[in-house]
Amino acid sequence: MSLIKEQDYGTPAKPGEATVAVEIDGKSVLVPEGTSVMRAAAEAGIEIPKLCATDNLDPFGSCRLCLVDIDGRKGSPASCTTPVAPGMKVRTQTPELAELRRGVMELYISDHPLDCLTCPTNGDCELQDMAGVVGLRDVRYGYAGENHLDLETDSSNPYFDFDSSKCIACSRCVRACGEVQGTFALTIEGRGFDSRVAAGAGGSFMESDCVSCGACVQACPTATLQERSVVELGMPNRSVLTTCAYCGVGCSFKAELRGDEVVRMVPYKDGGANEGHSCVKGRFAFGYASHPDRQLKPMMRERITDEWHEVEWEEAIGYVGRRMMEIQTRHGMGAIGGISSSRCTNEEVYVVQKMVRAAFGNNNVDTCARVCHSPTGYGLKQTYGTSAGTQDFKSVDKADVILVIGANPTDAHPVFGSRIKRRLRQGAKLIVADPRRIDLVRSPHIEAQHHLRVMPGSNVALINAMAHVVVTEGLVDREFVAERCEDFDQWEAFISGSEHSPEAVEEITGVPAAEVRAATRLYAGARNATIMYGLGVTEHSQGSTMVMGMANLAMATGNIGREGVGVNPLRGQNNVQGSCDMGSFPHELPGYRHVSDDAVRTAFETLWGRTLQSEPGLRIPNMFDAAIDGTFRALFVHGEDIVQSDPNTKHVTSALEAMDLVVVQDLFLNETSKYAHVFLPGTSFLEKDGTFTNAERRINRVRPVMAPKTGKHEWQIVCEIAQAMGYPMKYDDSAQIMDEIAITTPTFSGVSFAKLDEVGSVQWPCNDAAPEGTPIMHIEGFVRGKGKFVETLYVPTKERSTRKFPLILTTGRILSQYNVGAQTRRTGNSAWHPEDLLEMHPHDAEVRGIGDGDTVSLASRIGETSLRVKIDDRMPVGVVYTTFHHPVTGANVVTTEHSDWATNCPEYKVTAVQVALKQPVTAQSAQTRAVPAMAE
Amino acid sequence: MAQTHEPPHIRLANEIAVQFRHRDPDIAAKEIAVHIQAFWDPRMRTKLVIDAADPASGLDPVAVAAAALLTPPR
Amino acid sequence: MSASDDVVIVYVPRDSAAKSVGADAVAAGIAAAADRPVHVVRNGSRGMLWLEPMVEVSTPAGRVAYGPVAPHDVEGLIAAGMLDGAEHPLRLGPTEEIAWLRDQTRVTFARVGVVDPLSAEDYAAHGGLAGLRRALSLTPAEVVAEVTESGLRGRGGAGFPAGIKWKTVLGAESELKFVCCNADEGDSGTFADRMLMEGDPFTLIEGMTIAAWAVGASEGYIYVRSEYPDAVDTLRAAIDTARAHGWLGKRVLDHDFSFDLFVRVGGGAYICGEETSMLDSLEGKRGMVRAKPPIPALEGLFGKPTVVNNVLTLGSVPMILADGAEAFAAHGVGRSRGTQVFQLGGNIAQGGIVETAFGITLGELVDGYGGGTRSGRPVRAVQVGGPLGAYLPTSQFDLPMDYEAFAAAGAMVGHGGVVVFDDTVDMAGQARFAMEFCAAESCGKCTPCRVGAVRGVEVIDRIVAGENRSANLKLLNDLCHLMTEGSLCAMGGLTPMPVKSALAHFPGDFGTTTEEKR
Repeated sequence: MSLIKEQDYGTPAKPGEATVAVEIDGKSVLVPEGTSVMRAAAEAGIEIPKLCATDNLDPFGSCRLCLVDIDGRKGSPASCTTPVAPGMKVRTQTPELAELRRGVMELYISDHPLDCLTCPTNGDCELQDMAGVVGLRDVRYGYAGENHLDLETDSSNPYFDFDSSKCIACSRCVRACGEVQGTFALTIEGRGFDSRVAAGAGGSFMESDCVSCGACVQACPTATLQERSVVELGMPNRSVLTTCAYCGVGCSFKAELRGDEVVRMVPYKDGGANEGHSCVKGRFAFGYASHPDRQLKPMMRERITDEWHEVEWEEAIGYVGRRMMEIQTRHGMGAIGGISSSRCTNEEVYVVQKMVRAAFGNNNVDTCARVCHSPTGYGLKQTYGTSAGTQDFKSVDKADVILVIGANPTDAHPVFGSRIKRRLRQGAKLIVADPRRIDLVRSPHIEAQHHLRVMPGSNVALINAMAHVVVTEGLVDREFVAERCEDFDQWEAFISGSEHSPEAVEEITGVPAAEVRAATRLYAGARNATIMYGLGVTEHSQGSTMVMGMANLAMATGNIGREGVGVNPLRGQNNVQGSCDMGSFPHELPGYRHVSDDAVRTAFETLWGRTLQSEPGLRIPNMFDAAIDGTFRALFVHGEDIVQSDPNTKHVTSALEAMDLVVVQDLFLNETSKYAHVFLPGTSFLEKDGTFTNAERRINRVRPVMAPKTGKHEWQIVCEIAQAMGYPMKYDDSAQIMDEIAITTPTFSGVSFAKLDEVGSVQWPCNDAAPEGTPIMHIEGFVRGKGKFVETLYVPTKERSTRKFPLILTTGRILSQYNVGAQTRRTGNSAWHPEDLLEMHPHDAEVRGIGDGDTVSLASRIGETSLRVKIDDRMPVGVVYTTFHHPVTGANVVTTEHSDWATNCPEYKVTAVQVALKQPVTAQSAQTRAVPAMAE
Repeated sequence: MAQTHEPPHIRLANEIAVQFRHRDPDIAAKEIAVHIQAFWDPRMRTKLVIDAADPASGLDPVAVAAAALLTPPR
Repeated sequence: MSASDDVVIVYVPRDSAAKSVGADAVAAGIAAAADRPVHVVRNGSRGMLWLEPMVEVSTPAGRVAYGPVAPHDVEGLIAAGMLDGAEHPLRLGPTEEIAWLRDQTRVTFARVGVVDPLSAEDYAAHGGLAGLRRALSLTPAEVVAEVTESGLRGRGGAGFPAGIKWKTVLGAESELKFVCCNADEGDSGTFADRMLMEGDPFTLIEGMTIAAWAVGASEGYIYVRSEYPDAVDTLRAAIDTARAHGWLGKRVLDHDFSFDLFVRVGGGAYICGEETSMLDSLEGKRGMVRAKPPIPALEGLFGKPTVVNNVLTLGSVPMILADGAEAFAAHGVGRSRGTQVFQLGGNIAQGGIVETAFGITLGELVDGYGGGTRSGRPVRAVQVGGPLGAYLPTSQFDLPMDYEAFAAAGAMVGHGGVVVFDDTVDMAGQARFAMEFCAAESCGKCTPCRVGAVRGVEVIDRIVAGENRSANLKLLNDLCHLMTEGSLCAMGGLTPMPVKSALAHFPGDFGTTTEEKR
């Protein structure tokens, strides 16, 4: 195995058919109109020297190495900025060009340190390569002239250095920050020879707007921007293609290694989801995988108050199997269950649900998707027939209007957020529905046309008002509706009711009626309008209703079934889609088929050799209720910290305390393992072998870069527990598990590891009807036949602000941290977000006498916690916000038992709270100062 | 802190029932029954059916009607 | 300007060149010292800068000029009867009969110095708006054709035919198009843009409005360098007046055509005079040269089709439309049609504006109009076309001012700036300065310009110091070739011009090696 190096064509591909014929160095090549001469040459296998050009950035024309000779044109045009023209004859190598190129290199090297042998990029430096390519032998200017060799290195970023003395001012980093990432944190400062790359207004990288996505580091052709890991460890010598284990975007990465040590993660250009881009988590925050906190041996204890003791695998697995069977014997088949993990591979999830259904003999399996996107599964299945988003990410490049509801992509799905921003800079219009003024509402070079500051809990009223406008203002796509949908008339009569008008619900939503009407006209009037949504939609008492409301709106306006449209959930975790696909819900077998479907059940029974239950099992919150009731006694928790992440922490811990056996399988001891009897160490994504399915239904390979540090793959552990319970479950490798998935699940029938290795990734359904997968769904007809309009009655949540709890708390994520923070808190990412903060509008803070940075108590009727305040007018008055990345904050101590009526997805987004000053920031800093003294 | 003390199955059934309050009660009861049948664990359904017989259960009348339509667990 | 018979109208320029030598004090002095009612009009400058402040008095026989008038001269002038046009040592005679002015062909500058720059009535009374009225009676394509036929070429330096540029913008499909005026007049020895903006801003406004009609633009921007605060104020006041009179805004002159105009002030970078850098700067970005294609005519300001023309180019348009393409094209030689506004500066006895048809020789400008050096020493070199123009020796004084003739001589007409040096000039120092200027003012984008210019300074220093002279001369030559051929824009591409011309015509200034001395 060696390092994978993608070909760099120099300039981006142009869409369209290859219709322009040009001749380059005597070779004919046919390329699409608008293609640069440089790219055309690359297509013909001719490499033109270049430094400032790279194919994910617009041509810039600054390095002047790529000059060529074109018949009939005077001078030596730059091939990167010159588009092909029919019949053009180009020469890329002439003595004159060679002289010019050497002249350019001579200038570069006259202001560059000559320390190649000790330079961290030695062997991976484009400047070095080009000096060789142009045959530079002498720098006649000498090295004593004016130069930048004494400039200091900026090491403020935890992951990379900026060594300005090596900078050749090609602006690739500056352009990458703008064009690829869309942050515009970098600039060129100074004029002429003094032109230097600078972060922000000239401070350090950390002081600037830099989000540490790594695009600049990747773009840099020299050692100027360099991963510190490469500086410290040296150049990697092999690559393994794999998939990021953070959010639902599912970015493809090259894990670059020396031996078994990961030197760096580099986003893969041919990755279908990310196309070479990355964020601070996937790119840099992988250090947790080798963190000393990782527990590598199984542990057991009799009671949760006992100390842990490490045991061998055999003992731990044997114990789990034996105890599970004992509990079933005493309390019945249904007294045990398992929770599968959306962090794990499809193969691991599949075996967990199989263990529950076949070895446990019940349907008490659920997944952490319960608490995030279960309403998506329900709502889209009801209306369209498939529990998944309709589009691929790329589709947004064709959208003219983007409606973002309850999602904060630039923080939670950063790589897709950058893609949205790019499309907006190209001219697409944006509507944001969110209580907070998220970054997309206004950031460099983008601005939302409409920001609908909807009050938490009133989403359905808002979406109904939009649908009302569509129906009453003649904006319905009648042809689409008549041809493709059902139950429209009934729905139209319902939604036309004046109680749904924007004016009628203005008081409820807090959004001015005129704004709703204008936004709706924009959405409905677009050639292509798409909806992107997140947990701000699902995590409500009417999460499922809202999903159906959006589905209605898209159908009514004909925005389904082609590029640029659709209804798209932004999945929170890497494999939420996959864990749902794999049959993790208590009522569904793999492929979303109900357990009561005899034919489906029979097929599984035949293959698995066990009788399966036809009744749905317990959902996660039902498990907790049943545990407190005493009818549910044992739980296998796979890779999820339910104590920190599920609502109403007290209720969760009471349930766990009531159980006879809690088995936790995870990388680290966590809040949940405090209540566990057995801890089974898990594997990080760097050790896993399998697949993740991202938010666009894309099945990506996860390839191991090292053997499991624990000695066992997680799927092996699960199989061994099943075996310990007397159920024979055995696979040679995870590819075999995928083969079984393909046999049993029609939408996966064309999927295999071999196929994925061949084509990179596929989007399900992938079967005989769609052998290459299905980027866009419902093109000809809906999966369920006709798209179904569902009446979406607005029912206010029971969680209301009161005199005692006058504020509404809503929760979410921040860019640098991930979920409960188990991974990111164990990396340099904590430099950006060392603690959860409570964001609060200046007015709400002022009336409570709270200043920025003060510590406050946050109380709901459920519980109370304390944290520090960040005063920020991006919050509306009356709403406060926090993240749940840090266990010390315990944001879920205050969240309630309310949940989505259809799926029991918790209502994380609406909790009535009160905030009170606990400790002003000045007192606190005084105390902080006192701490070291006490430690002495 | 004030907690909701009604049993989970009552609370959940009522939360479903209120979503159908704009529908004809008969149709609503049918749809609710289909939903509960499809998604609820049998032991919760059993509890619901038992409590539906108790006029003091606090169950929404539509939920009571729905409970009557549930088929017993297989 | 109408005034009652017993009020004397006195003209004291408001031009910043005149103000810099006391025009404001002179104007105030006249108002205070006058023995009868006077109306002081602050006009533009007539362009005879060595005579500023030049005061004109309106007499029954026409305007009579006095100059240069220092503030302390005012009392004596009044006493001598200046307000009646009486004799005085500073009296220059009837303005129109001053030979320097009389011999010129004032087309673009026809109203400068004559009218009150901010008087809409004056403007209309002196032929203003005739061009725009005619343009609006034609189709856009006909206007473009008229401009094309006139042979008008870009006055900013590149000399690109304006009509062809306009035709491209007219043909581009876009709901939004722009007209941008480049008034970032940064070349050394140039000041014509400023004098037109300060002295007759409505001409520029009218020219831009015609351009907008011709190409289908709805918004215009004038990008003025920050060093021109008076021009900025004058333009802004004139734009307000034009809007108030319905010359700008919705329904221009009651036609179904809307156009509005805004002034933007630059940030002090020479490179922002390069059209694509100017567009970046107008967009609020750092001024960086863009690679072409795409050309601004297709993807200009904010990516929309954009006309970018210099002040003098746009300022010539009203006359072309008013009098017809033929009248304009009747002036000039070869492919250089019409008049050019030459600016005489540097070490020159009579500096200022000379607007005349193309074809006048360099010698006629420098020795004729200019009257030789101000120092009285012999002329040694003349730099034409700004800091990146060639240095020409007196032996080339018979060179006609004509784009092609200059190009053939390795020089350029540029923006028409003519800077004179006497025989004390060190031409190696001037060559070095060209490189130094480039190093400081380059946008920093392309390597030949950004790094090459710095190395150019160093190599010239070594040549002058006699270090490896022949090798360094070859290196300088190679560098000049690389900059000319390899630079992204004219900044780096033209920097070698002054260097090479200095080397070619004044080799002795670059020192000699010991061997050569022997």
